Amino acid sequence: MESTQTIEFDITGQICPSTMLIALREINRHIVSLNSGELKLVFRTDNRDCTNTIPEAAGNMGFKADVQKSDSVYSIVISKE
Amino acid sequence: MPTIPFMLLCGTLLGLSAGFIMHRADFCLAGMFRDLFLFRALFKLRILLLLIVISMFLFESARLAGIIHLYPFPSFGSPSLAAPFGGMIFGIGMVMAGGCVVGSLYKTGSGSVPSLIAVIGLIAGSALFAEFFPWWSKITANATFLKGKITLAQALGLSPTLLAATVAAIALPWIFTIYRNGGWIRPIYTDGSLQPWIAALLLSLIGFISVIAIGMPLGITTTYAKAAAMTESALCPTHYAGLKFFQRTSLQYTQPLTGELLRGGPGKDLDAIALIQFPLVFGIVAGGALSTLLLGEFKIRWKLPFRQYLSVAIGGVLMGLASRMAAGCNVWHLLGGLPIMALQSMLFLVGLFPGAWLGSRLLSRYVIR
Repeated sequence: MESTQTIEFDITGQICPSTMLIALREINRHIVSLNSGELKLVFRTDNRDCTNTIPEAAGNMGFKADVQKSDSVYSIVISKE
Repeated sequence: MPTIPFMLLCGTLLGLSAGFIMHRADFCLAGMFRDLFLFRALFKLRILLLLIVISMFLFESARLAGIIHLYPFPSFGSPSLAAPFGGMIFGIGMVMAGGCVVGSLYKTGSGSVPSLIAVIGLIAGSALFAEFFPWWSKITANATFLKGKITLAQALGLSPTLLAATVAAIALPWIFTIYRNGGWIRPIYTDGSLQPWIAALLLSLIGFISVIAIGMPLGITTTYAKAAAMTESALCPTHYAGLKFFQRTSLQYTQPLTGELLRGGPGKDLDAIALIQFPLVFGIVAGGALSTLLLGEFKIRWKLPFRQYLSVAIGGVLMGLASRMAAGCNVWHLLGGLPIMALQSMLFLVGLFPGAWLGSRLLSRYVIR
């Protein structure tokens, strides 16, 4: 069985709305691998607002988004449902 | 209670609550306009509209009940075409800075260094405005129309109650329709988050308390001008003394609860403006910090691309300039002026939309790569 690859982006500290713009750009760039289930994208952010906006945008594009918190930073994991 | 301790206590508590609530609900007014243009997202703007409608209801009810002593609120003037122009510059600035004059404060409190840079930019922008104040005040005066009229009701010769009732008749079915479609709620993933509609309700109550206890809605931008005045008077006192802007008395009013006559302006003195605004500014920063600390999310955040630092600095300067050009910032006009349908504030909003659009274009094209 093929394992799922993960790419992580650390975008902590950046001004709004760079977190969302970077996430959208990377989702679009990797859309084929995300769709095939080969890839997961992880966005590490301390911007609380984008824990809403990124999952919503990813959901609209047909992806699943999980939000986890560790050490004051939120990780948004985007993958195929 | 004597005026000074009362105002200090009141301002600090109002600011503290506003900063805390805004941080918990991500109540970023700049984001509301920016996300409309960048992501076609309407949710946050809808929340702002809700806040304005609730405030309108509260202010008008209080006016009818006779508990608002100063109406229209002090410092609102007749409409001038300078207001939409200022609104547009403000719109560009708030998007580039990643937060408005209040957003930058609560974000600074939560540990964001770029937001602190935006605050410093705001002070610099206010200092810059002082340099061309005499010229701009002439333009503002020449572009003023409907002299002596401050609100739409005054301009139309109608009762404010009639206009507020008309807005309510349109807004109530709208609020109910959105409610039925679940449009007031958003999923929450972060710890301690507040639904934005609850924040809108609480912030309108804070504005209401401010109007009753202080005599006017929340306003903080003259503080930035004061900070500029204090810095300039210390560094180059001769130049400072020659700047007419800092000699002005822009506010003179009677404190509604204590009856004391208060005066103040953008100059360096610790006057009525300082008494009203300094506690608010302190409170908003402290509220943002308190909220972040309680969540265990406080961290000094400074690592970001140079382009973003440049953007927040330019954005701050533009907001500082614009809030003086338009005689108030977005919080003053949207949360204080629009609910009483102040013409100046309506014009400010007209300029804010194209400004936020332009700011969003600049941000996505040149800043975020």
